[in-house]
Amino acid sequence: MALQLNVIKGLLLSGVVALGFGMAGCSDGEPVAKGAPPTMRRLSNEQYRNVISDIFGPQITVAGQGDNLARADGMIAIGSRMARITPAGFEKFYNLARLISTQVVSPANRDSEFPCTPADPKVADDTCAKQFYAKVGRLLYRRPLTTAELDEAVKAANEGAKTKGSFYAGAAVGLVGMLTSPQFLFIVDETEPDPDHAGQQRLTAYAKAARLSFLLWNSTPTDDLLTAAEKGELHKDSGLEKQVDRMMASSRLDSGVRAFFEDFLRFEQFDTLEKDATIYPAFSLKVTEDAREQVLRTMIDHLITRDADYRELFTTRKTFVTGPLARIYRIPVTRPSGNAWQPYEFPEGDLHAGILTQIGFAAVASHPGRSSPTLRGRAMRESLLCQKVPDPPGDVDFSKFEDSDSPNRTARERLTAHRSMEACAGCHKITDPIGLGLENLDGAAQQRTTENGAVIDTSGDLDGIQFKDAVGLGKAFHDHPATANCVVDRLATYAFARVPRTEDKAYVTYLQKSFANDGYRFAPLLKRIALSDAFTAVAPAKTEQAQLETKP
Amino acid sequence: MKHIAPKLLGCFLGLSLALGQSTAAFAAPPSKGTMGFVIRDWFTSVYNSKFNDECPDGLTPSYDEIWWRGISREERAKITQNGLNPPLNRLPYAMRRGPKGENVCLQPDVVKDPPMRVIEGKYSYGANIDGTTDGRATAKTCKHEKFTHPDGTPGIDNQMYRLVGCIYGWRKGGLPEANAHEGRGTSGLGMILVEITGVNDKDPRNSDNVTITFHRSIDQFALDGNGKPLPYSSYNIDTENGKNRYGDKLKGSIKNGVLTTDRGDVRVPYYGGYGFMHPAIKNMALHMEIAEDGATATGQVTGYYNADEFLYWVGGMVGHATTAADCPALHVAARQLADGYPDPKTGECTHLSTAIDIKAYSAFIIHPEQKSASR
Repeated sequence: MALQLNVIKGLLLSGVVALGFGMAGCSDGEPVAKGAPPTMRRLSNEQYRNVISDIFGPQITVAGQGDNLARADGMIAIGSRMARITPAGFEKFYNLARLISTQVVSPANRDSEFPCTPADPKVADDTCAKQFYAKVGRLLYRRPLTTAELDEAVKAANEGAKTKGSFYAGAAVGLVGMLTSPQFLFIVDETEPDPDHAGQQRLTAYAKAARLSFLLWNSTPTDDLLTAAEKGELHKDSGLEKQVDRMMASSRLDSGVRAFFEDFLRFEQFDTLEKDATIYPAFSLKVTEDAREQVLRTMIDHLITRDADYRELFTTRKTFVTGPLARIYRIPVTRPSGNAWQPYEFPEGDLHAGILTQIGFAAVASHPGRSSPTLRGRAMRESLLCQKVPDPPGDVDFSKFEDSDSPNRTARERLTAHRSMEACAGCHKITDPIGLGLENLDGAAQQRTTENGAVIDTSGDLDGIQFKDAVGLGKAFHDHPATANCVVDRLATYAFARVPRTEDKAYVTYLQKSFANDGYRFAPLLKRIALSDAFTAVAPAKTEQAQLETKP
Repeated sequence: MKHIAPKLLGCFLGLSLALGQSTAAFAAPPSKGTMGFVIRDWFTSVYNSKFNDECPDGLTPSYDEIWWRGISREERAKITQNGLNPPLNRLPYAMRRGPKGENVCLQPDVVKDPPMRVIEGKYSYGANIDGTTDGRATAKTCKHEKFTHPDGTPGIDNQMYRLVGCIYGWRKGGLPEANAHEGRGTSGLGMILVEITGVNDKDPRNSDNVTITFHRSIDQFALDGNGKPLPYSSYNIDTENGKNRYGDKLKGSIKNGVLTTDRGDVRVPYYGGYGFMHPAIKNMALHMEIAEDGATATGQVTGYYNADEFLYWVGGMVGHATTAADCPALHVAARQLADGYPDPKTGECTHLSTAIDIKAYSAFIIHPEQKSASR
């Protein structure tokens, strides 16, 4: 354990140098950006599961997970860079590694997992162990193993085989070591001297492969990609573009896009989402699961399958539903039972249009027993417009808002009374006018026209863009320039695992303009980032210290 | 009235528009003016006074009691371990008390039991189905006694209540129907869908001319965490070779949210006591009050229930221990009390007037041939 943490420290201080948003601009006008500190990101739990499934097959169960990554500066991707593994956290990974290794070497799986058969399954077999670790180690570490790493794994396997009287049990010991090593648990940006720029560094081809793979597929590089890296193809524009095109044409792109939007939209909130069953009896755990999936399905269909304008996510009436969701939306479905997903298009005149009106947003940004214009407004500002809403003071007086004897029947009336308190007014003026636009959807996102017998007024304005209802609010988001700029900013942040700095402004602006020129289509934006010099370039080593000392 | 209309209207307008603009999965033509319900509760309507005044001699003796009285003290002790065996364990002996060990519920004519006690009270729920004030015989009915509704309305026909009202298992909350209710909830069998078309979109709680179609669902009830039905779920109708397996229709109207129908013969599915039936309720009418928000409705079905179908269901029922009926006496009484549809040859009536309490939940009814839905 201590050894592994030292390795992490060593990696940080030695072979890794700062990354930058670009050394030399692309031919289509990509500006030059200065470098940034090196990144060393811990695998997220989802990435961990994806990697294990990709390497060993879906039959291997990952029964558990490591510590959740913390959100930092608005993105979990940034939190992954700051993650450390505590002793308790390491124990979780160790237990997972044992469970996975046991399955990999089990009689049911060993034939497909091992590239060889030991001469005698009861004793150590150097040759077969070496073949096995060379195969899986390359995929786990996202590069070929060094001789020392390979020897260490074989040594552990031999000792295990001797102790347990089984080649396969010994092989599991070595595999546990790999699965708990920092080289596996952390995605490390390793560098090498840049032959085209004397005195400068560049990402190794394997590190580029890892960056690409986790951005586009949210998993480890495949054998194809590592082979391309091995041949040096990723250092050539044509070779890089060929691989990016191949990966973007794959159905596995969905996984990468989903991962970004789960981070962007703060989907960890679903993990703790609960509704009062007395007030919302139709809101079950299944609804929670399906609501999350609905948002992602809508996005994949809109952004990838139909390659449509990102801004239209806020106005589209096309979505997918299941029986449990249909009961909340009060719409018919042909397959009401089970997990059947069905395409559905809300009709003109219905208040459900765009992702803001989906359960995955409107119910998540609500209280367990009632809606919350404030929570919704804040979520819209922070998640979708990249605007910061200050936290409420610790001594907020909610008495006027929660007074059950109050004559104020609607949330608008209650919040108006609440805003009469000066300390509250500032933030509520930012959140409430847009949050109230969704008040025709209750805390479970069920449509309603009245609250406590009073007709609900959903009119408002978003930074000067007037709207009358939830549909109009979605249109306002469509038209707001910050909507498109925010997703560009967050995607760049996600890809580089750091917040763009002042010196990166030109690059982000370039991406935003390109996004607009491309019709606000998400896939071209993703490809542009994946192909950009900024995505893979590293800064001169001498700037490393300065970068480390510069706070984002 | 106007103050409650917008809620329902909003739902209806949303539905209508949804149907008109749906994607490929719902690519059917618009189905405006349609709403649907799934019936969850289906209980024989019984009027129980606090002190059983309607059964002045007490509840009718059960099959078990009849059998018990018919055997010697020594036999009782031997068969029942001195009376310690509960009725359920005595059931095989009590049922097979024919001269040759016949099951008297399946062959009720092999023994002659004392007449069962029937309702002698004045009051009953239900409706005046035969249109007479005195229960005299008509072309379609036999002479019978009328009840008065607890609200004072005279001329109520409910011979089914008269027949079963003094049987322990059919008293309010009795287990046979409670178990049947539970069985329908968990099996999805015997679920009745009520589809109302011709609803006035502008004021759906007041629609002069609507058509009510009865279907069977092939989907199970959507229930919440407490086992209560959830409104706004979708239910596919049962079909055979692409055609609706049920689908009988009645004409009706909605006034102030209350649906009433004309009378007609309607076949509906029924499941209970591990038995499935599809009885045709003759001269049936539906009276249903729709809640203001349109999510639920409560009401009553009235009409004539085929006595043979009823007796067949009771005879085959697994849980006789819960009904506490006596099949041979029940058969005799049912023939005597039947008040509808005389047999052309014998002149004896074959049906019992009845009333059934229902509770329904708003539902989308899916027609496979249309690939569309309505609520």
